[in-house]
Amino acid sequence: MTNAEHSKLKVHPELSDSMITVKDLHKCFGELHILKGISTTIDQGEKVVIIGPSGSGKSTFLRCLNLLERPTSGSIVLDGVDLLTLNEKGVNYMRQSMGMVFQHFNLFPHLTIRKNITLAPVKLGLMTEEEANAKADDLLEKVGLYDKCDAYPSQLSGGQKQRIAIARALAMNPEVMLFDEPTSALDPEMVGEVLNLMKQLASDGMTMIVVTHEMGFAKEVASRVMFMDDGQILEEAPPEEFFSNPKNERTKLFLSKVLI
Amino acid sequence: MSKSFVEPKAGNKKLRILAVILVIAAAGAAIAAFVINLLDKDSKLYETFVVDNRWQYLLSGLGNTLIITACAAVLGILIGFLVAMIRSTHDKTGKLKIGNFICRIYLTVIRGTPMVVQLLIMYFVIFATLNSKYKIFVAILAFGINSGAYVAEIVRSGIMSIDNGQFEAGASLGLSYPKVMLYIILPQAFKNVLPALANEVIVLLKETSVAGYIGMEDLTKGGDIIRANTYQAFMPLLAVAAIYLIMVVILTALVGKLERRLAKNDKR
Repeated sequence: MTNAEHSKLKVHPELSDSMITVKDLHKCFGELHILKGISTTIDQGEKVVIIGPSGSGKSTFLRCLNLLERPTSGSIVLDGVDLLTLNEKGVNYMRQSMGMVFQHFNLFPHLTIRKNITLAPVKLGLMTEEEANAKADDLLEKVGLYDKCDAYPSQLSGGQKQRIAIARALAMNPEVMLFDEPTSALDPEMVGEVLNLMKQLASDGMTMIVVTHEMGFAKEVASRVMFMDDGQILEEAPPEEFFSNPKNERTKLFLSKVLI
Repeated sequence: MSKSFVEPKAGNKKLRILAVILVIAAAGAAIAAFVINLLDKDSKLYETFVVDNRWQYLLSGLGNTLIITACAAVLGILIGFLVAMIRSTHDKTGKLKIGNFICRIYLTVIRGTPMVVQLLIMYFVIFATLNSKYKIFVAILAFGINSGAYVAEIVRSGIMSIDNGQFEAGASLGLSYPKVMLYIILPQAFKNVLPALANEVIVLLKETSVAGYIGMEDLTKGGDIIRANTYQAFMPLLAVAAIYLIMVVILTALVGKLERRLAKNDKR
């Protein structure tokens, strides 16, 4: 499919009040062309689930959104600001409003759970130590791990670590949460606890962009499912339509191979 | 089954106790002989260490060696951290090109030339006009700059060994690169390289023995002065070696203790 064809398929018109607008995003790693013109818009409160085969560029796309990877060309507009025009300070400020959860948790092993959560708000001068501790305790209650507040990451199970990572991102009061395969590194029996927390977050109205292989989660929580392959969005639709009546041949093939 | 697989038991405990007693007795006898010899006015030991209070050369030399080592270690660690930060910032972000270039020249020159030559250049070229009573500062500077180059690479390896996910997690929270470095990366890197840093201090302690080249009266020079005065080489040089050995053994034991404690913290 060419870019021209693809732009006709776009579900959302270019609304200026949309939260994130991505236009013709390209990313190359040297010779490798990973993203080949991504365009989409994400509205406040949407839960976008991105699926697709390995190497399709879904993680790279997600990491471009908060500029952990710098796009080669294109534009990302968040709340009316083109992120690619920001200087370093601007990028750091923008990242405060975009929480990110990683596949491998990336908790800080030298800090207690509570300190993991309070480090950024305190060091950025957004909260005092007491305010941050109160906020951390609230969040730990919410993710059901209050009793672990003085433990270290190495004492937690994978599922617990990921719930703490989510709490850490939430401590910054982000406008949008990015999830990069949050359950892929977990034991099967721990996937549920993390997905449940994410569902809870979704029902609280958080804007979420989730890269995952959990089709059940996509069906249940997504407001829109996006299928990516070879650096392009091949199809995006609400989950009922996407799973029951996929239009793209590649999507059909992919869905026929994954267990739902 | 062959007997050699079986832990021997009977009678061996007594043998071990006997061996320990023998070793203690031998050490006691050696110390006693040493002290008796030291007090015997005709002995070599007496002539080497007691006559003209020659033992004071060793004592004041030891003092100088320890001062140079301690100050140079502090200086080296400061320089090392600074250089490591510049180098790893360049490796990670591509910034600080000029800083990185200067650091690489520093590392190449310092690690590519002998310590003694650096010391001589520092004293006879760079500080040629300095009053010689300040030569200990020149020594500290030379050893500190030298040690800094080795510390820099130790610390840099520590920083580079931290998973990139830690940088990304810090950045994704909106923390600036210096804050990520200070609060997330350096505490972890420092803990990882602490044993290597302590070993560097041990190496530095022994390296300072060349301070005599610029007329510093350190421990080695102290022994050498006694050798020149008494025409006896055996006693003073062995004594110097023994003192270095004792200090290194003590430091090594401390490093071992430190490592075990850090390992314990890891398990938690």
